[in-house]
Amino acid sequence: MASWLDYTINGLIVGNVYALVAVGLALIFGVSRLINFAQGSIYLVGAYIGWVAVVQLHTPLPLTIVVVAVAAALVGLIIERLGLRPLQNSARIAPLLATIGISFVLDQLVMLTFSPNPRALPSQLPDVRFQVGNGTIGLLDLLIAGVGLTSALLLFVFLRYSKLGWAVRATAQDRDAAMQMGVDVNRVNQAVFGIAAALGGVSGMLVGMYYNQIDTAMSLQATLKGVVAEVVGGAGNVPGAVVGSLLLGLVESYGVAVFGTSYRNLFAFLLLVLVLVLRPNGLFASARQAPPEPLTGTFIAPSRPLRIPRWALAVAVGGFAILPLFPVSFYVLQTLINAWLLGMLALSLTLVAGTIGQVSLGHAALLAIGAYTSALLSLSLSVPVGLAVIAGGLMSAALGTTLISPSFRLRGHYVSIATLAIGEIVSLVILNWESVTRGPIGISGIPPLSLFGYDLISASSVYWFSFAVMVVLALLQGRLLTSHLGRSFRAIRDDDIAARAYGLSLNRYKSLAFIFGGFAAGVSGAIAAHLYSYINHETFNTQQSILALTVVILGGLGNVVGAILGSVALVGLPEVFRIAAEYRILIYGIVLLLLVRFRPQGLLGTI
Amino acid sequence: MSNMDRRTLVRGSLAAMMAGAAFSRAAFAQSSEPILLGVSGPLTGPNAQYGTQWKQGFDLALDEIQAAGGINGRKLAYSFEDSQSDPRQSVAIAQKFVSDSRIVMELGDFSSPASMAASPIYQRGGLVQFGFTNSHPDFTKGGDFMWSTSVSQADEQPLLAQYAVKRLGLKKLAVLHLNTDWGRTSRDYFVKAAKEYGADVAITEGYIAEERDFRSTLVRVRDANPDGLILISYYSDGALIARQARQVGLKQTICAASSVYSPKFLELGGEAVEDVHLGTRYFPEDPRPEVQKFIAGFKKKYNGQEPDAFNAYAYDAMNMAAAVVKIGGTDRRAIRDAFPKVKDVSSVIFGTATFDVETRRVKGAMNAELVVRKGQFALWDGKPT
Amino acid sequence: MAEQNAPMLSVRGLTRRFGGLTAVDAIDLDLARGELVSIIGPNGAGKTTLFNLVTGHDRPDAGEVRLEGRDITGLLPETLAGQGIARTFQLGRVFGNLSVMDNVLIGAHTRLRAVKPAVPVIGPLLELGLALLRPASVRAEEERLREEVKVILARFGERLLPRIDQPAYSLSYANRRRVEIARALALKPRLLLLDEPTAGMNPTETAEMQALVAELKAEGLTILLIEHKLEMVMRLSDRVMVMDEGKKIAEGLGEDVRNDPKVIEAYLGHGLSRSEDEQETAA
Repeated sequence: MASWLDYTINGLIVGNVYALVAVGLALIFGVSRLINFAQGSIYLVGAYIGWVAVVQLHTPLPLTIVVVAVAAALVGLIIERLGLRPLQNSARIAPLLATIGISFVLDQLVMLTFSPNPRALPSQLPDVRFQVGNGTIGLLDLLIAGVGLTSALLLFVFLRYSKLGWAVRATAQDRDAAMQMGVDVNRVNQAVFGIAAALGGVSGMLVGMYYNQIDTAMSLQATLKGVVAEVVGGAGNVPGAVVGSLLLGLVESYGVAVFGTSYRNLFAFLLLVLVLVLRPNGLFASARQAPPEPLTGTFIAPSRPLRIPRWALAVAVGGFAILPLFPVSFYVLQTLINAWLLGMLALSLTLVAGTIGQVSLGHAALLAIGAYTSALLSLSLSVPVGLAVIAGGLMSAALGTTLISPSFRLRGHYVSIATLAIGEIVSLVILNWESVTRGPIGISGIPPLSLFGYDLISASSVYWFSFAVMVVLALLQGRLLTSHLGRSFRAIRDDDIAARAYGLSLNRYKSLAFIFGGFAAGVSGAIAAHLYSYINHETFNTQQSILALTVVILGGLGNVVGAILGSVALVGLPEVFRIAAEYRILIYGIVLLLLVRFRPQGLLGTI
Repeated sequence: MSNMDRRTLVRGSLAAMMAGAAFSRAAFAQSSEPILLGVSGPLTGPNAQYGTQWKQGFDLALDEIQAAGGINGRKLAYSFEDSQSDPRQSVAIAQKFVSDSRIVMELGDFSSPASMAASPIYQRGGLVQFGFTNSHPDFTKGGDFMWSTSVSQADEQPLLAQYAVKRLGLKKLAVLHLNTDWGRTSRDYFVKAAKEYGADVAITEGYIAEERDFRSTLVRVRDANPDGLILISYYSDGALIARQARQVGLKQTICAASSVYSPKFLELGGEAVEDVHLGTRYFPEDPRPEVQKFIAGFKKKYNGQEPDAFNAYAYDAMNMAAAVVKIGGTDRRAIRDAFPKVKDVSSVIFGTATFDVETRRVKGAMNAELVVRKGQFALWDGKPT
Repeated sequence: MAEQNAPMLSVRGLTRRFGGLTAVDAIDLDLARGELVSIIGPNGAGKTTLFNLVTGHDRPDAGEVRLEGRDITGLLPETLAGQGIARTFQLGRVFGNLSVMDNVLIGAHTRLRAVKPAVPVIGPLLELGLALLRPASVRAEEERLREEVKVILARFGERLLPRIDQPAYSLSYANRRRVEIARALALKPRLLLLDEPTAGMNPTETAEMQALVAELKAEGLTILLIEHKLEMVMRLSDRVMVMDEGKKIAEGLGEDVRNDPKVIEAYLGHGLSRSEDEQETAA
């Protein structure tokens, strides 16, 4: 019994920590209908500013808090002004990507300034601890809870009773109407970003003190957990975010209690998926409330795709096909092999995200399913590699579609969050299902690619194989797009309500898109597995999913040629920037931001 | 080893020696170009800190090698390519190194997925992949071009078990481990050894690298009622666990794997890591000259900073690379064949390092039993805590 | 099942509440085959909600909807489309990135046969396979539908045909409404629901639209129309139903309804109605 009290307290303590991020996210979502993936980076920046204040300047705690809040608010204002305001009138996917780009830039700047080594951030509170249950809680726990609850309360009061708060709520309800009624929407946005960033910065600092440790990896984790908590509580609902955070903390804590530590995040993400499926507007919204996304298809910008003449494509394909006959280095071939593998993944994602509008952030899971299937079949059952790769594709199509199907009824950002969670779940299942996947040890000794009994080992043969597979998949996808399915998918993307009115079943067509796309991604993962000879649960991670999405946006949503072009660019550019070593992710983030700002429809345009 | 193999090997190494000799004499006179090693490791991404620590260790070793006249008069240098510990990038880097005739051998990568994905390319390209942090038991099975000085967990964990069970007298253990290939392998070796020494392992808990909050895990541990906690952790997560263990009211003895050995562990853990026991491969008061030289040199080069385990691994790896290149010259195959020939290379971790030809790893890591006392690592005096 | 003499559409006691507000309050309505009934009423009267309930976009809290005698209450919109109900939307919902041709082809989706075999379970997979392989039957069906689309578009004169390959987002507002109606016609509906088809159109365009609706009615199509322009309502409708605050306040022939004091009160009571508003601006 006593232990359950401890688990409950521990859950609430860590829930407190999540709440600090979730409240900021909720505030921003409430006004701009935007999930700010840069919130974790502001949290990181706050932690390091706190470190400078405490360790270098020796400021007392109240002053530290003020310094961090002001500095973080400034960062927030800069983000709003330079990163997001220019995107006001673009498609709603643009600011989402911009926040991802901003988070890359901020994280890298912190890493370059402070080095990636973790640092201690000593707490400035006296180490007074109170016995609760069998454990103790300290002053800092109380301070964190206090900051979380007070800020939620203050925000609630501010939104309800102040003039600016009224303007914020009006803007949240209907931006255009608010503007017509004389609300200065830009000022509202500034206020909101400033407040949210100040809160984010202070929370990063407090959490850093709580763990006496800050490092650059804390940003992504904070964002992930904050987003989960926020969505559970109901996106845009500030008090809901606090409750959602505490609930998330409790679920994790009880999950650890019952099943063990390595299942912890599994429960967090399962909770998220469950809430999204059962109550897509969050736990505290009424079940039949209209979905929070816009009802017409403005998530993706209209654009006129750039048509590339067939002969040019044929020349390009021919050129790449004969490339290994020339004296190019194996390094170039290997880089292009990576591009072709990423190209297959991008083909898959451009179909589901671009053509049918399900912007998936968990696409690496499809790679993993294909890779594990093919690796295990060829190793354990001695299935010929050629067949195993196809089986990997089929398994990815079947299992991937089944897993993602709960998200079919969701829209816009919610799809992204649900797929992100599903991707994490797949990775965690691979980690924990040791009897099949060999858990953290991974699978080694995977046989090399082979075709009709001949091993494909040389760089050129692997190059030709992966290039041929990608071209075939691209041709098939091109054919699919010109069929009635292509127009049905695009109709669902543009306006799913009108599509249903004309007999298009969302489940049926989203399933078909994921089946086709899942196959391509699964084949890509399977080929990678045989190429690497070793895979584990970390081989196909979230970064891979985000990279694929960037490729798709770069090439133009739904654009087959664009997906391949984007892959070559995004595999090639970091290699070109190798010379910049530590700076290359920074450059990558800046390129992403410039792209979203100046060519949101991608290089070749949305199809 | 079959006769055939041995013959080839002998002939190969003879040729290599001759070539090496001829080459080095020629090089002596004409080439001012340094001998180039390729390093594939993380400089950005979630493991960036380890790449940074590698660089420090490498640079210190190179300073000493250069000061001692380099490799037969030529300088030794490395080209560090950032892989983010991502297998996709490490394979590209592998092709790059294999294609670059100036690279004579490769060091890294950091994580097993990244290293082992690149192994087939190094093996086929005939370039030694010297994975000095790759403890995955299958790493050196990738081929005869895969060599490692990473301390085998089969060696290390029984030492830790001995410390915990035999020396500290712990009888009922809770094991917390990073749920990675390293942590998992280590746990299995540890549990096996601890049981052989007669201890009972009450609970094992694996956690992911990004985990920050361990309070609930520690309640589980507490309920298993152990008399000692074993941490198979890196220093950052080890420090977090130690702090939170004290917060949830666990007062048991904590005994940690050598990977927490870092000044950062003391800094991040604060008072909570007081009295934590750990086995290490070296410690500052170790009178061995190679250790004293390493620590003094490191502090001098990096403004008084204390080195940690990853600095030491990198430092040793560079010295080992130099020793190998000295024998093998600049021919890639000759370098592979030189690995079994290097004898008793002075090493912080091993004292003297010699490769086992079968496993292509080094056995016999040094062992020191330390405890944290007054915020410092100190040799354990045998007193219970 | 389907009775020969049952009305095309029959609505009984249909009710939908949003929180404290009853948007549609116990509505009864019958629509005979070939009849055109208009629904009028001030803004917020519940007209569009009624459409949503009939077409499956929303579920009623009480009441039932029958199509030729069969109960279709609460069926999904995609199912109802398959049963021959087509609708247009108040705010216009064309598929912006699709060409005019593709928009209208989507209207014919429920009539695809060759490429959508009615096989249970593996039907969707066959559909995927057929879409990729495209045997002669599938190609012929697609070709036939494309020809049909051109015939439908020809009903709008030169408004849409020259723009057949342009994406819908590039069209004028009036043309987008036309595309919507063309898309509805491609379904070959038994029951057509038009939600303010002339909203935002100038008098010439309105007259064209009115002529088109009259033509459709003459061809025997059963039509339920929401429209604010009373002139058009009076000309086209067999009967008019008036709604206010979710309730039916009057029903009957156009002239009778127009002079019904309750109707006048409903419009006056709500101040200047949008229909008058719009007619003024349109004039």
